[in-house]
Amino acid sequence: LEAGDGEKQVKRTLHTWSARLLPLAWIPLIVLLGRYAIPPRKTPHFVKEEVARPSPESTKKSEPEAPAVKKPAAVVKHLDFGRDIRPILSDYCYPCHGPSKAGRKADLRLDRREDVLGDASSGKPIVKPGHPSDSELIDRIFSSASNRMPPARFPKKLTDDKRELLKQWIAEGAEYRLHWAYTGITRPKLPDSTRSNQARNPIDRFILARLDREKLGPAPEADRRTLIRRVTLDLLGLPPTVEEVEAFVGDSSGDAYEKVVDRLLASPRYGERQALAWLDLARYGDTNGEHIDDAREMWPWRDWVIQAFNSNKSFADFTIEQLAGDLLPDATDQTQIATGFHRNPIVQREPTDAEVANFTMVDRVNTSGTVWLGSSLACAQCHDHKYDPITLEDYYRVYAVFNNISPVRRAKSDGRGNQYPVLQLPTPAQKVKVDALHERKKHLKELLARKLKEAAASRADRAPICAGLRVLLVILSLQDKIVHFHESQQALGKEVVSTMIMKESAWPIATHVLHRGSLTQKGKQVTPGTPAFLPAIPDGARVDRLSFARWLFGRDNPLTARVTVNRLWQEHFGRGIVKTSEEFGSRGELPTHPELLDWLATELRDSGWDLKAIHRLIVTSKTYRQSSRATPEQHAADPENQWYARGPRCRLPAEIIRDNALAISGLLDQRIGGPSVTPYQPPGLWEAIRHPSAATAMEYVQSHGQDLYRRGMYTFWKRALPHPSLTAFDAPSREVCLDRRPRTNTALQALVLLNDPIYVECARRLAQRIMREGGANFEQRLSYAMALCVCRPPSLAELRTLYSTFEQEMNRFQKDPAAVSQILAVGESPVEPQFDRAELAAWSALANALLNLDETITLE
Amino acid sequence: VGGLALAALFRRDAKKTRECGKSIEEDSKAYGKRIIYLFQSGGPSHIDLFDPKPALQRLAGTNIPSSILGNARIPNQSRDKSGLPIVPSAYSFEPAGECGMELSSLIPATASIADRITLLRAVHTDHSEHMPAATLYFTGSERAGRPSIGSWLAYGLGSANKNLPEFVVLLSGSGGQPLHSNFWGSGFIPTRYAGVEFRSVGDPVLYVRNPPGIDPRTRRSLIDCTGQLNELHYERFGDPEIQTRIHAYEQAFLMQTSVPELVDLSKEPASILKEYGAEPGKPSFANNCLLARRLIQRGVRFVQLCHRDWDHHDSLDKGIKVTCQQTDQASAALVADLQRLGLLEDTLVVWGGEFGRSPYSQGPSDPKTFGRDHHPKCFSMWMAGCGMKEGYVYGKSDDFGFNIVEGGVHINDLHATILHLMGIDHTQLTFRSQGRDFRLTDVAGNVIKDVLA
Repeated sequence: LEAGDGEKQVKRTLHTWSARLLPLAWIPLIVLLGRYAIPPRKTPHFVKEEVARPSPESTKKSEPEAPAVKKPAAVVKHLDFGRDIRPILSDYCYPCHGPSKAGRKADLRLDRREDVLGDASSGKPIVKPGHPSDSELIDRIFSSASNRMPPARFPKKLTDDKRELLKQWIAEGAEYRLHWAYTGITRPKLPDSTRSNQARNPIDRFILARLDREKLGPAPEADRRTLIRRVTLDLLGLPPTVEEVEAFVGDSSGDAYEKVVDRLLASPRYGERQALAWLDLARYGDTNGEHIDDAREMWPWRDWVIQAFNSNKSFADFTIEQLAGDLLPDATDQTQIATGFHRNPIVQREPTDAEVANFTMVDRVNTSGTVWLGSSLACAQCHDHKYDPITLEDYYRVYAVFNNISPVRRAKSDGRGNQYPVLQLPTPAQKVKVDALHERKKHLKELLARKLKEAAASRADRAPICAGLRVLLVILSLQDKIVHFHESQQALGKEVVSTMIMKESAWPIATHVLHRGSLTQKGKQVTPGTPAFLPAIPDGARVDRLSFARWLFGRDNPLTARVTVNRLWQEHFGRGIVKTSEEFGSRGELPTHPELLDWLATELRDSGWDLKAIHRLIVTSKTYRQSSRATPEQHAADPENQWYARGPRCRLPAEIIRDNALAISGLLDQRIGGPSVTPYQPPGLWEAIRHPSAATAMEYVQSHGQDLYRRGMYTFWKRALPHPSLTAFDAPSREVCLDRRPRTNTALQALVLLNDPIYVECARRLAQRIMREGGANFEQRLSYAMALCVCRPPSLAELRTLYSTFEQEMNRFQKDPAAVSQILAVGESPVEPQFDRAELAAWSALANALLNLDETITLE
Repeated sequence: VGGLALAALFRRDAKKTRECGKSIEEDSKAYGKRIIYLFQSGGPSHIDLFDPKPALQRLAGTNIPSSILGNARIPNQSRDKSGLPIVPSAYSFEPAGECGMELSSLIPATASIADRITLLRAVHTDHSEHMPAATLYFTGSERAGRPSIGSWLAYGLGSANKNLPEFVVLLSGSGGQPLHSNFWGSGFIPTRYAGVEFRSVGDPVLYVRNPPGIDPRTRRSLIDCTGQLNELHYERFGDPEIQTRIHAYEQAFLMQTSVPELVDLSKEPASILKEYGAEPGKPSFANNCLLARRLIQRGVRFVQLCHRDWDHHDSLDKGIKVTCQQTDQASAALVADLQRLGLLEDTLVVWGGEFGRSPYSQGPSDPKTFGRDHHPKCFSMWMAGCGMKEGYVYGKSDDFGFNIVEGGVHINDLHATILHLMGIDHTQLTFRSQGRDFRLTDVAGNVIKDVLA
C-alpha cells in the first residue's frame, strides 16, 4: 500500500457500495456453510437484518414495512412520513441537519416542517410543498455538481429510489408527522377479518386481519401435549409433570386450557420465570464488577422481584417502589429493598469519587431510558440526540432526578461487600442480638453521662483541671466496654444480611450539563425534569424520583405502556411487535402490528397495570396456541414469524435449559430465593483472572448438596466471568441493562450439554428415574423418558434409533465395568444401588442423548 | 467455501472485492488475514523498555515540573502523594538492528527483531485506571458492553476453518491486574463472535473432553443418535434452526478430536520449543505464543494473549525483570517464526498494554523499591507484519516521556489502522444496537498512514 492511498480507497469504497451489495443473497449460504460457529436462528434473516452494513438500502430490502425500496416509487400512491420518509431523512440528512446542535451544518434543520419551509441561500424555498421542482432540497439531492447532498464524503449513498421518494413526498405536500411512538395512545377498534369468527380474543382479530393482507393462513392449534409443555415452560420456566400432561390431555371440559393457565399463573415458579428478564434489564449481579469484582449482596432485592411478580404487584407499583420506594409516604423495609434496582450498577474502584458517581448516574439514566421509555437517552449524554428530539439538557434533567441520592463512596463498604447506604436484614435471632446491642449502646451512653456528671461533681471543690482531660479520663475508664461494644457491632454487621438501597441525600446536590459527557466540561446547572418532548410533570409538583416514577404511568405518557407490553409479547413469541424492544425512537424498527400494540398498551394501562392479566390474554389467544410446525417454505417466507402464521418456536434461555434438565431428572431443588449458589464449574476459571487481593469472590468455592441443583437464576453472577455454561447460551455479564438476549446456536453449546458434569449427572439421574418409575421393558421405559423430556411418546422411527443405540451401549458397558464406574461417578448425588450398573450406564448414555435433543431445549 | 462470510462487505478496495464463492485465502495477498494481539496487562513501562530519556538522569529526585504536568489527571495511587519525584530508567538503551532503533537492555530478544517491527512511541489513551483503559483498549470505549476488537474482526472477516472458533483467547501470568471477560466479549453482537478461551490447565476448551466413561466411539454414536432424532424432528417442524443444531454437534465433535492435537506442544521440534522458551505442560506466555502460531496456522483469525503482571507500582526493578523474562523471548520468537514460515506478510502482531508508566515514582524514589504509576498520555507499543513498516519508529515523546511531541496515536487510531491492515474501513464496519450504528472506533479514529509500508 502506498501511504496516502487510504483516502482514495475510502472514496472508491463509497462509490462502489451499491454495486457490492447486490450479491448479498449469497451471504446467508456462505455463512451457513462456512462457519465454525453456527448462524443463529433464521440465519438468512439475521444476516439481512442484524448485520448493520454501511449502506442501509440492503437492510431496508428485508423490511416488509419499507415498500419504499421494494417497489418502484411510482407505485406508492400515498406516502407515510414515518414509514417512508423519516428513515431517509434520518439516515442521510439528520447527521448534519437534525435535532442536534453540535455539528449542524449551514444552520439548517430538516427535522421540523417550519424550518424547511424557509428559503435557502439560493433564494428558493428549501421545500415548497406540492412543488418538488421549486424545492432547493430536490435540486441538491439530484445535483451532479459539487454541492450535491449528501456530500461525497458522507459514508452513505442516497439511491435513486430514495431520491424519487423525497420528490414524491414534496409533491404530496411534504407533511411531517410526529414519530409514532411519541404520539398518545388511543384504543384502536378491533379490525375485521374474513376469519374473525376464529378469534379467541381481541389479539387474534388484529393478527388475523394482518394475515389476510399477507395472504397467510393461521396454523391449526398445537396438540395438547405440545401446548401444555409450551405454556408451562413459558410461564414457569419448568416442564409440566407427566401427571399434569395426562390430566390436560384427558380433560374434556371447554376451559381445560384456561384452567391450566390459571394454575400456572398462581404458581410461585411464575415469579422466578418472570424475574429472569427483569434481572437482565436491572443488570443484577452478585459482584461489584470491574476492577476487583468482589462479592456483593443484592439477593434480597432479587427475591423482592420474585415476590412482587408472584403477588402480581401492579407494574406501576412495581416500578414506583423500585425507583422511589424510600420516598413513599408509607415506606417499609420492603419498599426500601425494592430501591436496590438502581443500586445494581457496577461500582468502579480506582477513579475518583466524582468520576464514580457520574459513571453510576449515567448508568441509571440510560437504564431508566431503556427500561421504561424504550429510548436511547444514552445518545444525549454527550450531545443532543442526532435523530430523536432528545437534547443534552433533557438528559441532564433526568440525571438530576437521580442525582440526589447519598453518593456512593468507592470501596467504602459494610462487612458484606455492599456500599452504603444499606439496609440490614437481621433474622429474628439476629434481631434479638441487634436489639441487645442497641440496649448496650443506650446503657453505655447513660453510663458515660453519669460518670461525666460524677466526675464533674467530685472535682468541683478541687483545683479546676481541663475539662477535656476529665472527659478523657472517664472515657479511658470505660475503654474496655466501648471497644467491646464496637467489636460486637462489627461482628454483627458481618453476620447480618444487608442489601443496598437508595436514600435521599441530606443536602442538595447540584447537577450541571456535562458537554461531551465530560466532568471537565461542566455547563449550566439544571433542575430535575423530564425530557421536553414528552408530556411534562404537572406544574408545581416537586420533581424527584417519586414524581418521576409516577409520571411514567401518567395517562398521557405514550411510551411506558407500549414498551412494557411489547416486552411481555417478546417473552412469549421470542420477538416483540417492535422488534427493537429497547429502542422505540426513530432509529428503532416499526411495529409489525401497530394497532395491536396500542390495543394491548391500553389494556395494560386500563387494567391497572395487571401483568398476569396480560400474560393470560396473550397465552390464551388463538395466535399463541397455534402449532409451530411449518414447512421449510413457510419458514423461508417468514423466518422470524413476524406475521404469526404459526406458533412460537424458540430455544430456551440459558437458565431455563438448566432448570428443565434438573426438573426432568428429578434433581431440581425447590427452594425459592436466598443467597446465590456456586454449582459445578471447571476449576481455575476465576483464579486465572482474579485480582491478587484478599477480596471475596476471588476463588471459586463450589457448593455442595442441594445447592448444586438450584435453578440457573440462583447461580452466583460474577460480572467479570459469569458461569460459562450460562454464557454459552447467551446469558449476559449483567454489567449493563439488556433488553433482549441474542439466541445463538453454536458448537460450544453442544459441548456444554454433552459434557458439563451437571448435564452428565442429570442424565444419570434421569436414567435412575427411568429405571425406577418407567416400567419393565425398554419400550415402556423409553416412552416414559420421552414423556419427561418432550412430553410426548416416541415415534416408531425414534424408538428404533434409540433402541439400537441403547443395545450398542449396553454391550459396551457390559464389557467395560471400569467405564461404568466412571460414568456413574460423575456428580455428587448418590447412585441408587438397586439397579444393574451396566444398564444404568447405558440408560445414562441414552439420557444424555435425549437431553441434547433440539426439541428438549426448545419451546415449541 | 472456507470462510468468506461478510468480509467482502467491509473491504476497503472495491477492486479487491472477491467474487462470489472466493474465500479470503484465495483473495489478494494485499490484506492481512489474521492477528495475534499480545496484550501486556497492567501497563508496561515505556520509560524502561522502549523510550530512552537520558534527560531524566540529571533531574533524578526532583519533582516533575508543573509545565510538563499540565492538567494531567494524576491516577489514584499518586493522587495524594506530596511530590512526584522523577526516576530515570536504570537500564541502558542501545541501537538495535540495522535500523538502529534504541531499545532497552531488558528486552534483548525484541532488539533482535527491531528490523521487523514498527515501534509506536506516542500512543495515548483516555483513562489512567486499568479497567476503563483496558476496556477502551479492547472495545474502543471505556464503558462496558461493547464488542471487543477480536469479536469485531471475527464478525467482519468470518471463519477460515471448520472446527475451530474464529477468535481464541489465551491467558497467562498471575498476580497483577485482574482480567475481565469483556476483553474478549462480543458486547451487543451475537455471542458466537466472542473469544473462546483455550486454557493451559484442565480442558483446553471448556467441556471439550468427554466425561469419564464416555469414549470417542460412544460419543460418536450418541451424537449420531441425537442427530437422527433431530432430523426426524426437522421433518415435522421444518425449522432450519434444527439443521443448524445438527451441524453444531458435528462441529463440536470435530473440535473434540482436533483440539487435543492442536494444544499438544510436545510434538514441536526441540529447537522451536527452545526458541520460544516453551515447556509443554507448564503454562506460560511462551507456550501461548507458540500455541498462537499453531492456531493461526489452522485458520483462527484472531488470537489474543493476555499476559498479566506489568503493573509495577512498587519494586519495579525486581518486577519488570521477571515480566520481561516471561515475555521478551517468546514475543520475538513468534515474530521470527512467522517470518520464517512466510506468515508474517499477512499476519499482524500487536504488542502493548492499556497504558504506559509515569516517569515519576509514586512513592519515595528509592532505587530498590520505587515504582511507577499509570501513564495514559504517552506510551509505546509495537506492531509487526502485514504491511507495517519495518525497523521504523513512529511518534515522539517529550524529554520526560510524559507528553506527545509528534506522531500521536490514540487507541481509536490504532484500531482504525489495524482494521485498515485487514482490508476493512473502520467507518464501514458497523453493528446497529439501540438504534445506533456502533463501530469499533466509536466516533473517532484515523488510519496512521505513516506506518504502512
